[in-house]
Amino acid sequence: MLKEITEFLNKEVAGCNATLKEAEVGDSTIFVEASSIKKVCFALKDSAEFDVNVLQAITGCDYSDRIEVSYILASFTKNIEVIVKVKLPKTGKNDLVKIESVCDVWKAANFQERETYDLLGVEFTGHPDLRRILCPYDWEGYPLRKDYEVQKVWQGLEVNPAHKINQEDHDFMTKLKLSSDNPKIVTGSWEGHVSPELLEQLNTKMASLKDASSEE
Amino acid sequence: MSTHNETTILTSNRIHEPLTLGKWFKNVWTAVSTVTKGMAITFRYVYGVKPVTIEYPEVREELPANSRSRLFNDVENCISCYQCATACPVDCIYITATRRDKEAPAIKTKDGTPIRLDLKQYTIDTALCCYCGLCTTVCPTECLTHTTDYEFAQYTLSSMKYDYLADDIKVWRDRIVKD
Amino acid sequence: MDQYNEEQEKLHTDLLTLNMGPQHPATHGVLRVEIKTDSEVVAQAIPHLGYLHRCMEKHCEDVDYRGVIPYTDRLDYLASMSMEWGYSLAVEKMLGTEVPARAEYIRVIIAELQRIASHLMYFGTYAIDLGAFTPFLYAFQDREEILRLFEEISGARLLYNYVWIGGVWNDLNDEQLRRIGKFCDKMEENMKKYHALVGMNKIFRDRTANVGIISKELAYEYGATGPVLRGSGVEWDLRKNRPYGYYDKFDFDIVTGKGEMGQVGDCWDRYYVRVFEINESIKILRQALDGIEAGPIMGKVPKIIKVPEGEIYLRTECPRGELGYHLISDGGKKPYRLKVKSSCFTHTSMLPDLAPGQLIADFVATIGSIDIVLGEVDR
Repeated sequence: MLKEITEFLNKEVAGCNATLKEAEVGDSTIFVEASSIKKVCFALKDSAEFDVNVLQAITGCDYSDRIEVSYILASFTKNIEVIVKVKLPKTGKNDLVKIESVCDVWKAANFQERETYDLLGVEFTGHPDLRRILCPYDWEGYPLRKDYEVQKVWQGLEVNPAHKINQEDHDFMTKLKLSSDNPKIVTGSWEGHVSPELLEQLNTKMASLKDASSEE
Repeated sequence: MSTHNETTILTSNRIHEPLTLGKWFKNVWTAVSTVTKGMAITFRYVYGVKPVTIEYPEVREELPANSRSRLFNDVENCISCYQCATACPVDCIYITATRRDKEAPAIKTKDGTPIRLDLKQYTIDTALCCYCGLCTTVCPTECLTHTTDYEFAQYTLSSMKYDYLADDIKVWRDRIVKD
Repeated sequence: MDQYNEEQEKLHTDLLTLNMGPQHPATHGVLRVEIKTDSEVVAQAIPHLGYLHRCMEKHCEDVDYRGVIPYTDRLDYLASMSMEWGYSLAVEKMLGTEVPARAEYIRVIIAELQRIASHLMYFGTYAIDLGAFTPFLYAFQDREEILRLFEEISGARLLYNYVWIGGVWNDLNDEQLRRIGKFCDKMEENMKKYHALVGMNKIFRDRTANVGIISKELAYEYGATGPVLRGSGVEWDLRKNRPYGYYDKFDFDIVTGKGEMGQVGDCWDRYYVRVFEINESIKILRQALDGIEAGPIMGKVPKIIKVPEGEIYLRTECPRGELGYHLISDGGKKPYRLKVKSSCFTHTSMLPDLAPGQLIADFVATIGSIDIVLGEVDR
């Protein structure tokens, strides 16, 4: 079925360059050119053969160099499910990537595009009301990007204060290592989350121990 | 008259059928008959049904045996394998251990597994815990268990943290766990 | 007198902005709807979401495949079993795991019981929204029995973590299966009573018939699913149209709204679909209880789950609509990306289109009838 849809898209929409990426496990997807996404959606919706009448979801996934936006479409009359994908190259850490909105095709796109904008930083040009939807309106950054870092302060409130994320318990292992003669016998269930000053102290201690052992 | 006032008054878009005398009487009849029918159903509950609620602080409900409530770790049987901390989806278990001296007397758990690490820290922050039960299913010596104790409200956030190496932990353990 | 009239003409009237929620009993959680009203009539409604946002999708990228299940529980906390099943199915499909027959039967039993519990919750709270308190107590009395059973088998009342990748956690014993059978008989009787008490009541009918009409076209346009779509007269049920699990072995009907009390797709039709779906669930439960066979309840799953590279979009029929999991894996121990397509989110997006021209009281009835759970909306 997906092969036929790919052929249909290549025939119907000039320059959409639809390619089918067949997968051994899971679902196969159709990649199209980002510039022609609206035409592709209109073509699928209006075709009598496929009658893709429902937009299930618009979502995205961040890879280090690009953001792939998936349009998960379905037909409830013909019982078809199809995932159409576009690749959008990423420029900077918090830079928006742009694509045309499909709000005119399905009304369901309104909230779905707002969510993708909010969490992944994809700007949908032509969207009637592109605001953040799940995060607060004045939140910084796009949480679902892989290089996202949480902001330190939001509206005068400290985000992730140390006592709430149990900094003391996280530091316990490092403190024990610092106080013991042989830090190598101390093990813990987790790594990371250690206060930076303690980590520095530990590094100097380990370095000095290494020096001492090599001198011998 | 109203040239200045530009705001139009909205009206409800609800469909209203014109009311005739016959419909009025029909409405009254359906209202009376359906309400009477409903009342007949509810009145049956006045004497026919036993009370289903319990008076909580006086009468306490016994939870099923495998109910997942407050966690308890029997530290004497713990071999510090960290599997519970790895499985925990919210990272609320903090464990630290040191390697046991070779000269020290060998100790074993109840089921005979040798203990090679000395437990130095075993803390669970129950304020973060989501009671999913993944930690207890991976425990190889079955020392980490869910008890059926559901009354452990505290005044401060820090007192929700349980250090299982502390002495006072035994007190509530003996009160709750009956084996 | 003339002067007075002139003054009155100059008097400028404006729309009144009302904040409904986030702490409003009729919004079923922490939904905030900004309503612009002209006297009693709503001119515009703007939903503001995110009061329960936990960034669950980001969390899932940082825990292993088994650890995601407790997070999926917290999506729709009134139908946790169905949420877990959808996720487990997605991972099983990617892994190619065979689920034993007994586990499949148990999953169907559990999911249908969960559907009954969830619809009972809807029944109770919807009656409260419209001013009837007693049905709420009846609904909770029956729901309690289901929760008690779930507590016995899984250990928790609401967030079960029971359906695992490859099977289910605990087995049901014969006594529990008998209890489910008895519960089915009782529930069938009770539903007749409840429908006569609430659904046929004149006040309830007047409050819900011809209110909040969702036409077939509007439902498709917004991607509505589940009872909302079926209430609009569309015969679409994933259990029948794209069967998963063992649903193709059971015989049941799809309940659709017929517009008995007003137009097709009004609040009463959605109520009707949910209440009669309970009867269909009971039908499935009886067949499953007959068909269940002894055997293992866990399939062969590696100790450390590594899903092969690829992606899958899998949807299941949950009590509130279709739930879709879009799972992208890079071959590691943790999901690379997990998107949850929630039906409640989609249904909430319909509110701005449904509200204009409704009375505020009717708007409350409309919110109640699409039955949203904010845990699933905000994720």
